[in-house]
This record gives sequence, C-alpha cells and structure tokens, in this order.
Amino acid sequence: MSKRSDLITQISTNLAFTSNVTVNTTELPFESGGNPLYLNNMNTVYVDEQKIEEDELYKTLDQGTVTETTTTINAYLSTDAKESFSDIETVVANLLLASNAITGTVNTTSDYETAITDDVITYTFEYNFITV
Amino acid sequence: MAVINVTNGTQAILTIGNSEALAVPGVTNGMVVPFVQDITVNATPGTVRYSTLDSTSSSAFTTVNENSVSLNLLVDETVMFGDSANTTNTVALNGLFATSTSKTEVFFSVAITGTGTTGDIYIAGKGFIGGLAPTASIDGAVWLSPCEIIVNGELTKTVES
Repeated sequence: MSKRSDLITQISTNLAFTSNVTVNTTELPFESGGNPLYLNNMNTVYVDEQKIEEDELYKTLDQGTVTETTTTINAYLSTDAKESFSDIETVVANLLLASNAITGTVNTTSDYETAITDDVITYTFEYNFITV
Repeated sequence: MAVINVTNGTQAILTIGNSEALAVPGVTNGMVVPFVQDITVNATPGTVRYSTLDSTSSSAFTTVNENSVSLNLLVDETVMFGDSANTTNTVALNGLFATSTSKTEVFFSVAITGTGTTGDIYIAGKGFIGGLAPTASIDGAVWLSPCEIIVNGELTKTVES
C-alpha cells in the first residue's frame, strides 16, 4: 500500500460523518476543460499523486547509507466561497488529522492554505510523511 | 606524497578478533565492524612537565604511551550482539557488547590504505572494548553508539607484502 492510498482511505474514514463532502478515491486532480477536477466537481476531495524525495541521513566509511524518505502528497477541496457549508471547519480539521493515522513514519506534518478565485475557495492541503 | 582518500569504502576498516591472526585486515572470520561513521587512532605519548628556576619555559619528558582507538558507529545487530555462525572468532560470536562487559582482551587492526594489495598499511594492537553507549531517538531513527578500544601495549604498523 502506498502512502497515497493509505491517506485516501483515512480521509474517507474521517469524512464519513458529513454529507457535504465526498472523496474521489480513484482519480487524480487532472485538468478537464481547462480546469482541474476539484474546480469542476466542487465539494469533492481530490488527492494528488505522491512525490518522493530521498536524502542521505547517515553515511559511513564502508559506504553504507541510511536514507530518509520524504513523501509529499497534496489534496484539494473547492467549495462555494459565498456560502460555506456549516461544518467546513470540522471537515478541514479532519482532513488535517488524516495524516496522523499513517503508521511507520518518523515524522508527519500536515497544513493547508486557501485561495479564492471568483466565488470559489480552494483548500490545498500538504501532507509530509518522513520515513527512514 | 599523497593524501589517503577514504571515500571509496575500502579504507579505514576496523577488524577485530580473539587472536592476532583473526584481526588481520581481510582475513577469513575476522570481524569487520560495519557502519563506522568516523574512527580515530590515538597514539599519545604520556608526558610530564616540570619547571626549573633557570628557565622561563617549562620542560617535559615522556613517560609511557597511552594508545586507544575511538569510533562512532551505527549499531549493527550481528556485530553488537553476536554472530552464531562465526564460532572461530569468539569476538564475532559474542558481539561487541558481551565482549566489552566480559572485559575480554581483543586483537584489532585498522586498515589505513585498504586491504589485499602489496604495500597496504594497517595499524594493529590489542586491548579492551569500552565506551559503548548505544543511543536511540525518534529523530535519529537508528541506534548510534560510540566505541573505544583501550589499547593494551603498543600500536604497530604493518605493511602488507
């Protein structure tokens, strides 16, 4: 199981309480008709492909190396900026918390930023999972 | 003249055995300590300083040499706690930890320029393993430990022929 699929599973679990948001468990947020899918399908969480970066944590005289792997995954949610649904704050909190359930990591971080275009607000979440 | 490059993974190799023959670099059943981050061979003559009324500087004379080998390593389970397959070399069989706690004398060599080639240099001696202090943290991710060999006697330089 990849970190992305684990994260999608956990996001689905965390958002099961609400009917205002759904999770697209299959598609990447590709562009369709000039817009990414999360703009075309509002109130749907899309999880992007994971990016992996490897750094050398320890290097030894016999050329043994211990590698630190950082897996970065972005998720997107767009919704109406004029009239947010009532539990948007809980949804955002649960999206952030989804990272905590991923096991086997040395460190996990999650944060988000927002951008408003016309009457649409887009939440962009970034999850970082560090493993050794 | 040339500096000794240690970046290709074949120099600066510590080999330990329960006999001098089992501590020669590259020997079968010698215990090569893996994952060494840094290693220092200390060959230090002891000195005593004294002052005299007719001199504005102190003088010194040497006493005995105090030699040691110190290193930092990532803990390898087999080397630290024993390799049951190596019954020839009791240091390898018991591991660094048990050898240290039992205060068993070991023989060692530090390959300076590599092994197996005529002209390769190594420093050898015998002594006691000490200074083990395995440390783990979530940030460090693996067990790390310093290690020291307190040399009993003199260090010798050998050139492979």
